[in-house]
Amino acid sequence: MRKVVILFFAFIFQINYSQELFVVTDPASNVPANTLSVRVMQSVFKEQVETGYNYHAMPEITYGISKNLMVRSTVFVSTRSNTIIAEGASFYAKYRVFSTDDVNSHFRIATFGRYSFNKADIHQDEIEIMGHNTGFETGIIATQLIKKVAVSSSVSFEKAFDNKPDYVFPSNQGDNATNYTLSIGKLMYPKKYTSYKQTNINLMLEFLGQTINQNGKSYLDVVPSVQFIINSQARIDVGYRQELYNSMVRSAPNGVYFNLEYNFFNVIK
Amino acid sequence: MKKTNNIYVLLVSIVILVSTKANAQISKAEIIATGLTCSMCSNAINKQLKSLPEVVNVETDLNTNTFTVTLKEGNTLSPKAFKDKVEKAGFFIGSLIVTTKSETIKQGGYVVVNNASSTNPEVQIQVLDKGYVTEKEFKKLSKSFKNIETYASNNEDDFHIKIIN
Repeated sequence: MRKVVILFFAFIFQINYSQELFVVTDPASNVPANTLSVRVMQSVFKEQVETGYNYHAMPEITYGISKNLMVRSTVFVSTRSNTIIAEGASFYAKYRVFSTDDVNSHFRIATFGRYSFNKADIHQDEIEIMGHNTGFETGIIATQLIKKVAVSSSVSFEKAFDNKPDYVFPSNQGDNATNYTLSIGKLMYPKKYTSYKQTNINLMLEFLGQTINQNGKSYLDVVPSVQFIINSQARIDVGYRQELYNSMVRSAPNGVYFNLEYNFFNVIK
Repeated sequence: MKKTNNIYVLLVSIVILVSTKANAQISKAEIIATGLTCSMCSNAINKQLKSLPEVVNVETDLNTNTFTVTLKEGNTLSPKAFKDKVEKAGFFIGSLIVTTKSETIKQGGYVVVNNASSTNPEVQIQVLDKGYVTEKEFKKLSKSFKNIETYASNNEDDFHIKIIN
């Protein structure tokens, strides 16, 4: 695994253009004003305790209210209870607080907040309000483009509540956590643009970590992924998430992502 | 009497404003956008520019992020329209050169800073205000134009321009 990561890094820093439309994390940049983005994120993760796989789908819509503010709503669908059911939903807002741009570079800082509810059973130490827990998350993201390489990092605070109506948050688990992410993205193709119709291929490498604040239990995952941008309007992501380090109970840490996205520009005339 | 005077002033101002705008024609704008390298980002700017009803066509060079915008005759757009659209897409203008009738810049709102003049019926001008050049360039220009009071005030309605030809 380590070799793969090193190779991937070597690969990324060699190439010349960069991307920040990350697969799992969000950059400090927003969806353009008056653009509606529709995405379906799908994941198949292998159960660690039980046998088998669980499937999650997260259809979401994102809208750019202004150049600095965007909002997003996500619905969580899963097969964890052996039938396809909607388990919850999430509301997210991100505000760009700082930008400084130059010809081939930019640095941006954004803050975000998310509230989610979920009615599924609570079956792990990991706090994940994207599809597992009811709770909120708030944090800060910084994204830098350095000589055509994009690097983005975030720190956030996440707190879980009871998954009402049936599941209370276990009192023997820590209910709040600090999350940190580091993402790097790179445009592999085309080397030279000729039109908006050209398919772009991006490679991404993302690291996601969490520490439960009360007991210090932590994990660190890596997600290498490949992304296709079609017609400068649609996006297909394929990624693989692998646990690198873990000291907590997690039900299904490893698996694949498959996301589809389409952007409608200037939706309100 | 005073009231009548005020109304008269208001009417005259409106007439001047309207007539100024009617003559303030920009036929072409060449925009270089900063802070992006992806074609989807570029397309966001492209679509924002095309949403202006005055726009006939937008040609893009994706490698340099240059947008050449052709505009309808008789439009009343000011350079600010392009800045707003690029910023709505999430990016900034690094350079804006517009082609306009030479009488446009003789009207209020334009301050020529390079002492040049042109006898052509159409002139190409570069807007040098904050938000129309890169941040680094703006810092440099602020030093060179420290004697021009209006430049430092960053008033959104007046444009400091350099006549290119």
